[in-house]
Amino acid sequence: MPLLQVENLQVTFTVDKKPVPVVRDLSYTLPAGKVLAVVGESGSGKTIHALSLLGLLPPGASVRRGDAVFQRKHLLALNENQLRTVRGQQIAMIFQDPAASLNPVLTVGEQLVETLRAHRSLSKKEAWKEAITLLEKVGIAQAEKRVHEYPFQFSGGMCQRVMIAMALALSPDILIADEPTTALDVTIQAQIIRLIKELQQHSQMSVIFITHNLALASQVADTVLVLYGGLCMESAPADELFLRPLHPYTQGLLESLASVQTRPERLPAIAGQPPVAGEILLGCPFAPRCAYATDKCRQELPPLTKNGAHEVRCWREVVK
Amino acid sequence: MVRYIARRLLLLPLVVLGVTFLLFFLTQRLSPEMRASLYVKDPRQMGALEEVIRQYGLRDNVFKQYGRWLGQVIHGDLGYSPSANMPVSRALKEYLPATVQLAFVTMLLVVFFGVWFGAFSAVHKDKWQDSLARIISVGGFSLPIFVLGLLLLMIFYGKLGWFAPGGYSFQTDLIIHGSTFKTYTGFLLIDSLLNGNWRVFWDVLSHLVLPAVTLCIGSFALMVRVMRSSMLEELNKDYVRTARAKGLTPRQIIYKHAGKNAIIPVITLASIQFIRLLGGTVIVETIFDYPGIGRFGVLAAQQLDIAGILGFSLMVAVLFVLGNLLSDILYTAVDPRIRLE
Repeated sequence: MPLLQVENLQVTFTVDKKPVPVVRDLSYTLPAGKVLAVVGESGSGKTIHALSLLGLLPPGASVRRGDAVFQRKHLLALNENQLRTVRGQQIAMIFQDPAASLNPVLTVGEQLVETLRAHRSLSKKEAWKEAITLLEKVGIAQAEKRVHEYPFQFSGGMCQRVMIAMALALSPDILIADEPTTALDVTIQAQIIRLIKELQQHSQMSVIFITHNLALASQVADTVLVLYGGLCMESAPADELFLRPLHPYTQGLLESLASVQTRPERLPAIAGQPPVAGEILLGCPFAPRCAYATDKCRQELPPLTKNGAHEVRCWREVVK
Repeated sequence: MVRYIARRLLLLPLVVLGVTFLLFFLTQRLSPEMRASLYVKDPRQMGALEEVIRQYGLRDNVFKQYGRWLGQVIHGDLGYSPSANMPVSRALKEYLPATVQLAFVTMLLVVFFGVWFGAFSAVHKDKWQDSLARIISVGGFSLPIFVLGLLLLMIFYGKLGWFAPGGYSFQTDLIIHGSTFKTYTGFLLIDSLLNGNWRVFWDVLSHLVLPAVTLCIGSFALMVRVMRSSMLEELNKDYVRTARAKGLTPRQIIYKHAGKNAIIPVITLASIQFIRLLGGTVIVETIFDYPGIGRFGVLAAQQLDIAGILGFSLMVAVLFVLGNLLSDILYTAVDPRIRLE
C-alpha cells in the first residue's frame, strides 16, 4: 500500500459565489521513501493541492471532492484537532519564501523548540538541545550561537535550512517542499536541493516536491507529475518523462529549457498564456496553445490514458 | 542603542528652548502692565504696578527677559504662580503625580481592553463579534469627551452616588496632610499602599474611575481599530501559515505568533496617547475637578499667570521628549530587528 494515495481531488475557489475549480480530478500515489515532483506554472494548482492535504487552504478555497488516504487516515475528512497531530509531525511542509515563512520576532531556536514541544513531551532544556542538533544537521555552523538569533540575521538560504530543520524536527513521513528554492539564488538553490535529497535518503521519508522547474524536478524526483490548469497532464517516472515526453505541453517545457550546449539566440517558449483558473472548463486546457489541437481537443476533455507507469492526458495518445 | 538614547537626550534642551521661547515671545504681546497686574497686592496703592514692572524688568528686551527666566530655571526657580498661590515648581510637584496616575491607569485600561478587543475582533473577522466590537469602537470614537464626562458624572455621581469628582475625599485630604502619612513617591496610589492605608487607596482609586473611563473611551476606540487591522495583516502573513503547518494550536498562533507582531504598532500608538494624556487631560480634569496638571494649566492660562503657563509648557515639553524616548525603547524591546541593527 502506498504511503499517500490521492484520489479525484477537486479544489475550488469561490469567486462571486460561484465555485471555480483550481485543482481538477487529481489522483496520484506516493510510495514510502520516494520523491514525487509536481510541476506546473503559477496558477496550475500545485500549491493549492498541497495545502488542501494539510487543511491549510486559504479562505475562499475548499475541497469539493476527492479523498487522500494517509496511513489509513482520510486527510480531507479530518477536523482541526485531528489535523494538528498530522501537521508537522507526520506531514511537514516548507515554503517558497523562507525569510517570510519564519516569524520575525521569535528566535530561530524558539520556533524550533515550539515545534518539538507541540508534538513531543520534551522539557525546555531537552528541546533546546534538540534544536541545536537539528540546526547542525542542516549544515548551520555555530549552531549553538545561532540558535539564539532571529530570522533577519540569517540569509535566505540559511532561513530555508532553518525551515528544513523545523520540518524534519519530528521525522515526518512526508515532506512537502513548495518551491523551496524559488526565492534563492542559483548556487544556494543547488545546496538546498542537495540537502533535501540527502536528508530524504537518510531518513527514508517521502517528499512531494512542488516546482515550476522541470529540470530540477527530473533531478530530484522518482516520479514527475505535470499539472496544467489544475489537471494532471502527464505523469511518469522521471527518466521516462525526460526522455520520452508524450504531452505537447511537457514537450514544450523541455524544449524551452536553456541548454549550455546549444546556446540558441532566443529561448524557445510556449506561445500564449496559461489559462486563468476556471476559464476553460470544456476541452483540453492546453488546446489554445497547442500546435496539434483539433476541434475535438477544444470541445472534449481527453481522459488520462495509462501506458504502464506513464500516464498522459492527450487525444493523440488516446487515438493510438 | 546607548548612542541613540544619548542623541535623543541631547535633543531635549533644544526642544525645551524652542517651546519655551516661542511661548515667552507670545506673552510679550501682553503689555507689561497686564503681566505685572497679578503680582500687585494692593491696586489702590499708587505706583505699585510700576514698582513690579521695574523690579522684574518687564520692559526689557524680550531676549534679556527670556535669558533671565532661563537663568532662574537652571537654578530650579520657576517663579511664583499667583493662580495656584504657590511657587510653580511646588505646584508642578503637587499636581503632576495625580495626572501621571490618571494617565497611567487610563492607558492600562486602554491597552488591555483595546488589544484584547482588537485581536478578538480580527480573529472573528466579519462575524457578529467583529461587528459588535466595531460598533462599540466607532461609537466610542464619535462620543465627545466633554459629553461623555458630564454624562458619567450625572449618572454615577448625581443619580447613583457611587463615584465622586475631585481627587480624593475630605477625610483623605486630612490623612495625607497629617503627620503620620509619609510621602514616598507623590503618587497617592503607591504611597497609600506603602503606608499600608487601604482607606486612602480605595478613596483615591474610586475618584480615579470616572475620569479614567472618560479618557479611556476615545483612545480605546482607536486602539481597537489599530490592533484589529494590525492583527488582520499579521494573520495573513506567511509565518502564520508555517505556524499552522507545524501543528500549533490556534491559541499559540494567535497570541504568540501573530499577536507578538501585531502589538508593535500598538506600542507606538499607546505611547503617543500616554504623552498626550500627560499634557492634555485638560477637559477631563476640569469636568471632574481633578487636581492634576491640566487643571493647573487651565487656571494659569485663564488668569494670565505667565510663570504658571511657562512652567506648565516647560514640563509638557520635557515629558514629550522623554515619552517619545520611552516609546522608542519599548519598541526595541518587542522588535529584535530594531534592537540588534
